[in-house]
Parts: sequence; C-alpha cells; structure tokens
Amino acid sequence: MEESTGNVKFRLAPWKWAAMILLVYVFVAGWIVPLNPGIIEVSPDKATAGEMVVLNITGYNSSYVSDASSHRAWLRLTGDTVIEARHVQAWDDRHLTASFYIPSVFPVRQDAYPLTLVIDHGTEGTSLLPNAIFITPAQEQDTADLKLWFQQKITDVHKKAGIQYPFRNILSETIRNTYFHVPMWFAMIILFGISAWYSLQYYRKGQIDFDTKSVAFIKVGIIFGLLGLVTGMLWAKNTWNAYWSWDVKQNMSAICLLIYAALMVMRSSVEDDMQKARLTAGYNMFAFVLLIPLLFIIPRMTDSLHPGNGGNPALSGEDLDNTMRMVFYPAVIGFFLLGLWISELVYRTDRLKRSLWS
Amino acid sequence: MELKKSLDIYGLFQRPMAVRGLLVCLFILIFQAARAEGETAPDFMRSIGKIYVVAGVCLIILITLFIYIIQLDRKISRLEKRHKNE
Repeated sequence: MEESTGNVKFRLAPWKWAAMILLVYVFVAGWIVPLNPGIIEVSPDKATAGEMVVLNITGYNSSYVSDASSHRAWLRLTGDTVIEARHVQAWDDRHLTASFYIPSVFPVRQDAYPLTLVIDHGTEGTSLLPNAIFITPAQEQDTADLKLWFQQKITDVHKKAGIQYPFRNILSETIRNTYFHVPMWFAMIILFGISAWYSLQYYRKGQIDFDTKSVAFIKVGIIFGLLGLVTGMLWAKNTWNAYWSWDVKQNMSAICLLIYAALMVMRSSVEDDMQKARLTAGYNMFAFVLLIPLLFIIPRMTDSLHPGNGGNPALSGEDLDNTMRMVFYPAVIGFFLLGLWISELVYRTDRLKRSLWS
Repeated sequence: MELKKSLDIYGLFQRPMAVRGLLVCLFILIFQAARAEGETAPDFMRSIGKIYVVAGVCLIILITLFIYIIQLDRKISRLEKRHKNE
C-alpha cells in the first residue's frame, strides 16, 4: 500500500484539462467582453401628437461626445414608418437630447401610440429602446402631417467595430448569465441522461456497479439543477421583479428536481441493496422520460417568460447572437465536463465505500 | 452538553475547521445580504447595468461547487482512514 500512496505519477485525463481550459475561457470571456452601447432611459415618456417634443436620452456604455455631429435619431411606429429628429445634441458621453415634431395624424388608428427610439452613430453603431415614448392623439388633426411619416427612412445604419455582446433592454449586463445559468440545466439534463443509460445497463446486466454509477450522476445532476434554480431565481428577481413568478418553466423544473429528490429519499428507505438498485433503475429511467415533456414540451405549449417558449425564439436572434455563441457553447461543454468530473469522483468514492463495507 | 447538541442544527461543532469557517462565512454573507436588502440601497443589485446579478450568479455556482467538493474530500479522507485501519 505504501508505494502506491508515496510515488504515484499524477496524470490527468485530457478531457479534464479541456474542462478547466473551457471554464477559464468562459469566465474570462464572459466577464471582459463589453456590451454594445444601449439606451437605458428616455424622458419624458409621454407626449401629445402635433407638438414638438425634446427627449432626454440616457445611454449605457455609450460615448456620445466622440464624433458628436454624426448622431441621428428616429421615432419608429412600425417598420419603415418613422420620423427623424430635427436636431440631436450630445451633452456628454451618457446624455443626448433629440427634438422631434410628432405629426398630428398617424397612419393607423389607435388609442395611444408607443414609439420605438432608434439612435445611430458613426462609430458607436445603432441602439434602440422599444416603447420609449407613448403618444396621445392630437385634438386637431392636420392631414398634411401624414406624409411626414414616410419621408424619412432609417438608412445607412452603422455597426460598432470589435467584439460586443448585444444590449438588451431590461437584461443589460445580465445577458452574461446566459453563460452561467443556462449551462447548469444543459449539464443537468445530460448528467441525468447518462444516469438513465447506466440504469438501463443495470437492468440488462444486473451488476451493482452500474447502480453506483447511475446514482453518482443523479447526485451531481441534482446539484446542477439546484444551482440552475437558485441562479435563475436571483436573475428573475432583478429582471422579472420576483424570485418566483410561477412561470411554467420554473414550475416544471422544480417538479423535475422534486422527482429526483424523491428518488434519493426512496433509495434511502430501502434496506436491501439489490432491491434498492432495482427500484432505482426503474424509477430513474421513468424519471428521465418524464423530463422530456416537463422541460421541453409543456413550456412550449403555453405562455412563458423564458425565451424559447410560448412562441418566443430561443438560441437565436438578439438573445444569442454569433458572438455569444462563441462563449455559450464552450460554457455548455465546460460545465458538462465539470459535472462529469465530479460525478466520476462521487462514483469512485461510493465504489470505495461499497468495497470497504462489504 | 445536551443543550449544545440540540443547538447544533448545522453540525457546526462537529465539522473540521476549514468547513466550519466556510459555513460561518457563508451564513454571515447571507445574513448581511438579507439585512442590506431590507435597510438600505434596494437598487444595489440593479446598479451599473445589473452587473452584480452576474456576480451573484457566478458566486453562487462557485461557492456551491466548492462546498460540494470539500464535502467529497472529507468523505474520501474518512474512507482512507478506515482503509488504513483495516
């Protein structure tokens, strides 16, 4: 025994190195890459049609003073239906004023008109704020104003050079949580999948070792699921304004964790090892099959706050652009490999424990 | 002795120094955060483009994984000890 503890050559499997390198990359790139410039706030947020309005715009990550003459601003009703600002003035890097004449007539008839503010700058690129200002209809309508809506178009927009993450309203910096919160769930699902695979192997071959393996993956999968739940709650508190909004995906993931927690409780209540292993294997395969409707089907059938559900696109568009993909996919692989690594350690510990007890 | 045992809900008096220190640090952190939220600066988490939310998420992940790994380490140490005794 002495020589094996004293002089073992320490070698780490390549995929463990890959896990470390990927996670270091994810933490570095996830934190240091800046966000695109964006608009945080516009005041006033209400105006009447047929009048001049001066908007005070507060930016984020912006440098409005540089090349101050190249600012252009629009208020957009839909698509190409826009009005351009008469005058744009940059006060400092974060503050801009833009004056608009709001036409007294609108091409569509509504009770109130929410307009999107679009700003374009030669080097800073384009930023926009949906529903920046609400317009109430004018008392007297001058039909000649109607053509103002179609005279200007948003053309020659710029894109900021370099690497940035997209600025999303409400999310702002928390868009980086895509690299930390989402991979928890991906890792959990893959770990539970591997666990179900070992359960199947236990059914086919009946070796107790497969049971030890599958339980190790369940333990670590539960840890990752809990992490996903808690980090999601912190994120939700600061974007959806509540730790728990009874969103369908939140509920279903909580149910999924409860199912696996019940599995662990059931295991500890059975005394006979073989019976324990057989029950676990059956329950575990059933639980993994249940995951698919709980996490992938039901949330897509109803409205949800999560992207990718209830008609919202996920893994596409502004929520995950090509720059973010370069960090997101390594994050998924890295966190999964870390989960695999911890599961392996848990398995080796449990195997050692079993060999010592019996 | 009985009193001490009944108070020890988190097993603080039985755990090794490092784990005990870590748990105490974590509790202090949680209580501080809970107090801070109630008393002042309700917008701390939302300042600077809500960057502290990302910091919080990263900390939760790292702290939880480290605690789990430390627990695993202790378990392996116990097993090694038993192995040596046999």
